[in-house]
Amino acid sequence: MESLAEDRRWVILDLGMARPQTIDFLSRFRCRVDIADLEDAVIASLDWQGESGAAPDPVESLRSMPRSEPADVVLTWDYLNYLSRQQITGLMTAIATRSRPGAFVHALTGYSRSVMSRRPGLFAPLDEGRLIELSTGTPDRSATRYSTEDLDRCSPDFTIERIRLLTSGMQEYLFRLRQPVEASR
Amino acid sequence: MFDKKDASRGRPAQGKSSSAADRASTATTPARAGPGSTAVIGRSIKIDGTLSGDEDLRIEGYVSGTIRLPNHCLTIGKEGRVKADVYTKSMMIEGEVSGDLISSESVSIRTTAKISGNILAARVSLEEGAHFKGSIDMDPKSIERALVKREVKRVASDPGGSERAKPATLTNVKSTPTETGAAQQAAGDKKL
Repeated sequence: MESLAEDRRWVILDLGMARPQTIDFLSRFRCRVDIADLEDAVIASLDWQGESGAAPDPVESLRSMPRSEPADVVLTWDYLNYLSRQQITGLMTAIATRSRPGAFVHALTGYSRSVMSRRPGLFAPLDEGRLIELSTGTPDRSATRYSTEDLDRCSPDFTIERIRLLTSGMQEYLFRLRQPVEASR
Repeated sequence: MFDKKDASRGRPAQGKSSSAADRASTATTPARAGPGSTAVIGRSIKIDGTLSGDEDLRIEGYVSGTIRLPNHCLTIGKEGRVKADVYTKSMMIEGEVSGDLISSESVSIRTTAKISGNILAARVSLEEGAHFKGSIDMDPKSIERALVKREVKRVASDPGGSERAKPATLTNVKSTPTETGAAQQAAGDKKL
């Protein structure tokens, strides 16, 4: 987040819903914020019981978003916890195709919690570069607790630049896009 | 790194809009009361075409096409539905909008708003509970470029300056005299 202060244009892709605190925080920088709002698609996919028709695919929601400028920063925050390994692989590939080489992906995964809330947690950036967790709801889903190896395997186009254990029971990841990926993927 | 705070979730029941806005949306607003007033497109009015003008506008009906109010404020009320490219000085959105929204100053997105599209504005504020999918561009240079591009496009499509690129059409006029007055103003004159 410190880099955002540089006098250049940033394109930020937020996989979550539009949040007042995030927009307010980013409004002080020269940036464009793309809001993917995958929450409903992620929950629909998790709750799908094999009814008639195809399973909801949250990654498809991202793929169907119009492309313009490639992203410099992608905020996935709590979302990887709510996807299967296959979906994470699909998501990271979709992110890679719509990001600049060297782009960052910021993610949070649960490492100590055995259960997680029904919907992804809500986070808001603070001035000093920290994130505040606004709400998690009642925990009623088994936590996926992906390991670093899991995430590394699911993100072949990225290197893991930084991992940090947080006191909240979450683990912070900073992925970096390794090389250009053909847009046709 | 993490602080926890008990707060409501992102999509609560609607109901955070200001009392002033509520009063404005329920009041019997004159269609056009004079200089400095706000023209109103009423609930049952549908307009398809290009709207432009030199006063503030509130939309409670349905508008599709293009809206140009470069020096004024547009309010899309709770009942308002807009499917258009919009150019204004400032905008307040409480209803449903689909399209590209460009404001030279600010865009305020209220809790009841549902927006699908792209916003370009120097200042964007969003209330808890608002639905938004698309992009928000707050880069001053982008906004400047978009405004110049819009002006070039406008001049090219309207060299005489009449701003009558496409006549607005009005349908489903079953409204109170107040609303009809606003609709006739909008569709007939098009210059509000």
